[in-house]
Amino acid sequence: MSGAHEHPAGPTWLWLAAIPLVLFLLLAWGLVRQPLPWQFDAAWIPSLSVSLAFRIDGLSALMLALVTGIGTWVFVYASGYLAHEPRRGRLFAVLLLFMLAMVGAVSADNVIVLFLFWELTSLTSFLLVGFQHRRSHARSAARQALLITMGGGLALLGGLTLLAQITGSWTLSGIVAAAPAHLADARLPYALLLVLLGAFTKSAQFPFHFWLPNAMSAPTPVSAYLHSATMVKLGIYLMARLDAAFNDLLLWEATLVATGTVTAVWAGVLALRERDLKRILARSTVSALGTLTLLVGLPNPGAGLAVVTFLFAHALYKAPLFMVAGNIDHATGTRIIDHLMGLRRAMPWTAAVAVLAGLSMAGLPLSFGFVAKDVMSAAKAEAEVLALVSYATVFVNAISVAVAGVAAVRVFWGPPETARGPVHEVSWRMLLPPLAIVLLGMEFDFVPTADPLLLAAARVIAPGLGAADLSASYGLDVLLSATGLTVLVGLAFFLSWDRLHQRLQAMHWLDRYGPAATYELLLRGLALLAARQTRLLQHGRLTGYLRLALAALLGMGAFAWMNSDTRLSLSWTWPPQAWAWLVAGVLIVAGAGAALRLRDRLAVLMASGLVGYGSAALFLFAGAPDLAFTQFAVETVLVVVAASVLPHYGTGQARAVPWHAGDLLLAAAAGLGTFLLLAHLDGLPPDTRLADWFGANSLPAAHGRNVVNVIIVDFRALDTLGEIAVVAFSLLAALPLLAGLKRGTPT
Amino acid sequence: MSPRSTLLAQSARPVYLLLLTAALWILLRGHNEPGGGFIGGLVAVAGSSLLAITLGTHSARRWQPLPPLSLAMLGVGLALASGLVGPVTGLPFLTHVWTDSGLSTVMLFDLGVFCAVWGALTGYVYALLEEG
Repeated sequence: MSGAHEHPAGPTWLWLAAIPLVLFLLLAWGLVRQPLPWQFDAAWIPSLSVSLAFRIDGLSALMLALVTGIGTWVFVYASGYLAHEPRRGRLFAVLLLFMLAMVGAVSADNVIVLFLFWELTSLTSFLLVGFQHRRSHARSAARQALLITMGGGLALLGGLTLLAQITGSWTLSGIVAAAPAHLADARLPYALLLVLLGAFTKSAQFPFHFWLPNAMSAPTPVSAYLHSATMVKLGIYLMARLDAAFNDLLLWEATLVATGTVTAVWAGVLALRERDLKRILARSTVSALGTLTLLVGLPNPGAGLAVVTFLFAHALYKAPLFMVAGNIDHATGTRIIDHLMGLRRAMPWTAAVAVLAGLSMAGLPLSFGFVAKDVMSAAKAEAEVLALVSYATVFVNAISVAVAGVAAVRVFWGPPETARGPVHEVSWRMLLPPLAIVLLGMEFDFVPTADPLLLAAARVIAPGLGAADLSASYGLDVLLSATGLTVLVGLAFFLSWDRLHQRLQAMHWLDRYGPAATYELLLRGLALLAARQTRLLQHGRLTGYLRLALAALLGMGAFAWMNSDTRLSLSWTWPPQAWAWLVAGVLIVAGAGAALRLRDRLAVLMASGLVGYGSAALFLFAGAPDLAFTQFAVETVLVVVAASVLPHYGTGQARAVPWHAGDLLLAAAAGLGTFLLLAHLDGLPPDTRLADWFGANSLPAAHGRNVVNVIIVDFRALDTLGEIAVVAFSLLAALPLLAGLKRGTPT
Repeated sequence: MSPRSTLLAQSARPVYLLLLTAALWILLRGHNEPGGGFIGGLVAVAGSSLLAITLGTHSARRWQPLPPLSLAMLGVGLALASGLVGPVTGLPFLTHVWTDSGLSTVMLFDLGVFCAVWGALTGYVYALLEEG
């Protein structure tokens, strides 16, 4: 794997790390200079109560610090990790977009703006997970992540809209402030369950947990950034933000505590079934997210502090551990723990990072993880949680200790594996980032403290929180109660990892049933349904399409007619220049009639072109020169291009289509129906309000005498923008299909 | 491609240039007389199609300022950009702005429509012609 490094030509994109760095420094400078919260509001779509409202309080600032701070190091790491990846420019672009989406999501106050940024993070996550798009498992993992998080996102939109309607405020801060007066509203449980569905899918809670380990198909910088430190915390962030308003509700508390506990325990069990270091870490991330959900659900103020401390600690140890896994993969070419041993000699710096991060993950002294664990056990004691939840927490923490042992001890200690050949330490760009992040998560004197920020964030979740001390206390009782038991149990898990693994691996029913299998089943069902309805409706026979469309149109028209009390009012007036209308009519009828009779394909094309030209002539005399002009141009291009493409398909005779009485009847009915409709419309008194307004305002307001063009480019410019976007993007979709035709493999 | 008429092959380029000039003229007069970006773009498509059919898509591509897809995307981008001038000066999106000399973001928008139509439709035409 290592050895002579051939860097493909092109930039390393290291300088991109300056963007999150500048944002981080701006944030730090702002935190020193300006008291929180900062607010910004600009009108966007006032008619829909959507405004670009942003509000940064303690919790947002903490998330922003994580997103930009860890983001800076992730960009440095990625520039080293992807040095051999020719498509790295694409990855950096999406990574940057993700970071900006994250910044928007955690600072948005308007719920619609929050939703937009939320979905943008899902979308960028999809692109990053599917980055190795030639591998089928990367594609299916990306699709899974997208379907689950975006499906949850839709539920979130519904929930937030409902919340906004209940409380009358479209901002998160307004909803939280107004909520206490609406706790008895009958719609509130539905709103909260929908919001929680969004948060649970995003933060990989049971039963939506399975997408996160599969998302490990993404390159390691992505896993470290999106799938451990930032994006998956977005659900926790939203729940924490709403917690101040709803934590008195039994529904809220029970759902969060139950889901969080189940997720934490189940993910811990599943971690034991994995052999891939990255997937082990991913399972333990899900477990940590479950713990965070549980903590958000606890009603006491201390739990708020526990949420932010653990969230912070987890980001600072899990991101470096992912980078460690990436370094090992980079240096040895494998992440399977059975093939990894004694790497400490070859990779001393990576080993050092792993030990420090493992210390924090296991919650051992000297690390911030120890402080977090202390605060967490205090919060649980204060909340008087069920005994079952307490046992679960001990189990989850023990699993953390065991996973930390696997990542920090097992692969680095012991005799080095010699079968693979020499292993070299990775470059500084892959060592400095995890080292810097992990050092921030240590309780060393030279590390600047983040305590004021953490306390400010905790007060957003629990406004009643008093002064709290976040420094480590090494009393014997604390060491024993908070750490002793879990470390002992964790040690037992670590030592018997292989045996437990084999036991669990043998339980094949775990793969056959459960949420992941259900997802596959649903996906297959969806594909089957799509195939069925495609065979039914999209069979590829043009006559069938026409039949269906005409019959549906006639049916709907007849239905509307019978259910209204309008009387048919036919009128007959000869228009001025009636001869021209007649000539155009004769052209159209002749063209249509000839197209029916002719057999030569080219002749049919010409005849149908005649229909188009006839319509254009009709428009010309009906006072629509722009429309006539367009119709002439379209018809010309269509006929000419079709005529030059036709020979490729053989110039032979078109197959004779036998006459069907039913078709004839349908065609006649459609023709008659259209005629009656038009004749009826002609007899109605015309409503010219719109036309009058456009006519009166075109010149004075839009400086144009051609009303049609003014409507297209000015009064209805948004519609036009949409139309040309559709035209342009349709080409994007059509080009691969046409290329497939060329290769003779229609896909 | 089938054997071509010499006359057609010789006159294709001049006619193309003529059609393109006409297309631009239709685009520019569009605000006050019949015309505009859609129609102008279609006339340009007719010109490019003529070149593509007589001299092959290769020459048609060479005589176009940008590859079709890029041209189409540039068009959408121009239209979008013209709409962003409004918000910068505090007006809603797509509110058009005029200068005293008669220049306006409307022209930029219509140019965007022109490019989008020209690029997208020629993209289809070339792909269909190259398929055989």
